[in-house]
Amino acid sequence: MKAIRGIFRLALVLFVSTGIGAAYAPASAQDGGAAVFIMELGDSALRMLANSELTDEERTDEFRRILLRGFDLPLIGRYALGRHWRRATEGERDEFNSLFESFIVESYATRLGRYGGETFKVTGERNGGGRDSVVRSEIQVPDGPRVRVDWRVRSRGGTLKVVDVVVEGVSMLITQRDEFASVIQRSGGQVEGLLASLRQRVR
Amino acid sequence: MRPGAVLILASALFFGACAVQSDVSENESPTVNDPLEPYNRYMFAVNDALDGGVIRPAAEAYRFVIPQPGRRAILNFLRNLESPVTLANDVLQGEVGRASVTSARFIINTTVGVAGLFDAAGAMGFERHSEDFGQTLGVYGAGGGPYFVLPIFGPSNFRDTFGMGVDVFFDPVNLWAGNTEREGVALIRTLVRGIDLRSRTIETLDEIERTSIDYYATIRSLYRQTREDEIRNGDLAPLPELGAD
Repeated sequence: MKAIRGIFRLALVLFVSTGIGAAYAPASAQDGGAAVFIMELGDSALRMLANSELTDEERTDEFRRILLRGFDLPLIGRYALGRHWRRATEGERDEFNSLFESFIVESYATRLGRYGGETFKVTGERNGGGRDSVVRSEIQVPDGPRVRVDWRVRSRGGTLKVVDVVVEGVSMLITQRDEFASVIQRSGGQVEGLLASLRQRVR
Repeated sequence: MRPGAVLILASALFFGACAVQSDVSENESPTVNDPLEPYNRYMFAVNDALDGGVIRPAAEAYRFVIPQPGRRAILNFLRNLESPVTLANDVLQGEVGRASVTSARFIINTTVGVAGLFDAAGAMGFERHSEDFGQTLGVYGAGGGPYFVLPIFGPSNFRDTFGMGVDVFFDPVNLWAGNTEREGVALIRTLVRGIDLRSRTIETLDEIERTSIDYYATIRSLYRQTREDEIRNGDLAPLPELGAD
């Protein structure tokens, strides 16, 4: 159970520290492109974690690169800010984008575990409406629970990006949005209150 | 009867009555429903202090003293005792297939699994699930109602507090303990359940706290989403509207 260190990092870390060799046969009418994308994303992460020549710092850097390449953080951040995005000034938006990226990277890319024998299996792919697909997967922790993880993937200009990770029904997007909304509300509705908290967090 | 259970039941009945009225109009888009936030934040802090002083140390001691196979057996035993409550709620929800699985698990684990210490049924492919009366109400369309942090027990809402009271009241183990003046047994069971649960969530909660800027709001969101997932029995949630961009 040492692999379990947080609910989303759980997914991300387990996902990347996991054998992606598991076969996936597209069972639906979908073309399976998003499922293949998720498996490839995990594959590069697996190579990183299995590479014993890397120092912890290099490992973290590599994880950060994979995170930034595979996830649409600007879109995730904008959704997390919700209706406050529209009211924010250009300067607040720019600062929020850069703080949010650091916040996510710092939350998830630190204290990476090593490969602990987890297995990863893509179980299906569904249409997510518009240009979105949802790739459903399961992660089996050795001697532990089986964790359901859904990946919402968006296609934009020929590139695929993860826009949400849902672990056992808990969405990263919704959780982040609820938390940010609460911080803003408690700062009298000011986006600046959230920016201050994030600044303090990422330093 | 147990004073604790009476208290919970009484408050549940009170809040349950409010919950039924206010929940009908709750729409699909998840919104934060927390009119008691000042009280809730206060109780959250009280629970957190209690956790740091008593519950967490007890959970750590539990881990330290009892090796993993022993804790596994205790967890299996506790879960097997929950089977009647899950079964009753499977039936109330009209889930025939899931009710059969729960029954099969209970029979197999009580016999082959040596009074529930081993999950023999799980090894045979009968996968465990858990149901409670809060979920049953949810299946019939009741929303969660206002978020409500219970003393000691932590995150809940009006519906689930009421559901918890109903489950506690009708739990055969509690009925048996109450009828035979073995209230201590019911109390010890609740205590071990709590310590076991805490011992399995130390790292996860630490991590959530570390990565949160508003720990209270994050836990509130996780509670709501987890309950909705349990009510859907793990089906895909309606996707949040992300916009076309």
